[in-house]
Amino acid sequence: MSYSTFNRKHFDSTKEPMFFGENVNVARYDQQKHPIFEKLIEKQLSFFWRPEEVDLSTDRKDFQRLEEHEQHIFLSNLKYQTLLDSVQGRSPNVALLPIVSLPELETWIETWSFSETIHSRSYTHIIRNIVNDPTVIFDDIVTNKEITKRADSVSKYYDQLIEMVNIYNTMGLGTFNIPGKGDIEISMKALKKALYLTVASVNVLEAVRFYVSFACSFGFAERTLMEGNAKIIKLIARDEALHLTGTQHMLNLMASGKDDPEMATIAAECKENMRNIFIEAAQQEKEWATYLFKDGSMIGLNAEILGQYVEYITNVRMQAVGLDTHFETKHNPIPWINAWLVSDNVQVAPQEAEISSYLVGQTDNSLDDSDFDDFDL
Amino acid sequence: MTSTSKQTSLQRSEKVHRVLLGKQQILVTEDEPLLAQLERAGIHVEYQCREGYCSSCSIKLLWGHVSYPSEPLAWVQSGYLLACCAIVKSDIEIAFFAN
Repeated sequence: MSYSTFNRKHFDSTKEPMFFGENVNVARYDQQKHPIFEKLIEKQLSFFWRPEEVDLSTDRKDFQRLEEHEQHIFLSNLKYQTLLDSVQGRSPNVALLPIVSLPELETWIETWSFSETIHSRSYTHIIRNIVNDPTVIFDDIVTNKEITKRADSVSKYYDQLIEMVNIYNTMGLGTFNIPGKGDIEISMKALKKALYLTVASVNVLEAVRFYVSFACSFGFAERTLMEGNAKIIKLIARDEALHLTGTQHMLNLMASGKDDPEMATIAAECKENMRNIFIEAAQQEKEWATYLFKDGSMIGLNAEILGQYVEYITNVRMQAVGLDTHFETKHNPIPWINAWLVSDNVQVAPQEAEISSYLVGQTDNSLDDSDFDDFDL
Repeated sequence: MTSTSKQTSLQRSEKVHRVLLGKQQILVTEDEPLLAQLERAGIHVEYQCREGYCSSCSIKLLWGHVSYPSEPLAWVQSGYLLACCAIVKSDIEIAFFAN
């Protein structure tokens, strides 16, 4: 069961489950058990962007003109997003690559995680632009209680899965006494349960946890403030929506039993846990909104409206993974946010800014004589 | 001389279907996805990507038939439709939240 970087067994990878089957050997994409992951890779690659493409020179002046409580809102959100993407830039790789069994899913995980590292780099780009000493901001991420509280919630399922898989890869199945932790049971069922809850928690991270920050960034941009930042957040939101689809597919494939029959039982057993992960995250996000606005609101947004938005978006995301909705809020209290979240609505002059879904070198080779019917010489 | 684009516009379907949403009734055609037509009718639908990968515009399909010109990237739960890319193919009834 120990991990091999090139499994020497000869087997048909299209017959393997997504996780806990054979370690992947040949990275081949001509055949796939779940073609969706190949499609997600292609989509993510077509989204490629670099933070330096976005000019932030006006943001620096804007930031200096913000009121102190607005600077608190802006910087706190940046810190929180930095935390989330620090986790996401490594954890899918560390937790999932040792147990993945399909080449297309393995590469999707790597592609997904890589795109998170671009998000992290963009926070450095933004922070370096608006403050003189970025270290003050970055250091606060590991000491600020409001942030570290959230760090526990977003990393605990990952950490548990990683610990269990480490034991499994060295010791195999059984119950093992780990110094300082007591007896830990490593069974296939316990491993799969830890996996399911990890994917559920990541789904919630990308489905709910980012959205208070997104709303604030677009709230500033509605007032034509911090518009460079909003442009970057738009690109990040587009990536996150795609990642979200990735975990929704994993969860729904697991629950359907089509990929691994035992996962269907586990998904059914974990349904209540998954509900609770959504509800706990929504609660934390509402508390976060209160923390953001503790010294004052910003025009168009306050803790109450953001709380309703959290409830609303949580309902939408719960429904997407087959859960009943939990909150009463059935209408979006800030419908203007969708115009910002949509990818391609601000690009009026491509020479002045990047087109957000620009495919490099895309040409159409399937030309037919009839395509020239409109031409008169 | 006819061009392909002109031919396409002439072939636009004249089919009109009814969409029931609670007590409201909206008439839609098969010419474009449901989302844009609901918006024109003044109905707010949650959306994000508008190209079938984010699943934000997932709506309960109580009965009736829709089709997708190309398969969306998002997972479409059974009994739901993705408004941004679904073409309505019969009279349908929709609802925003399942419970």
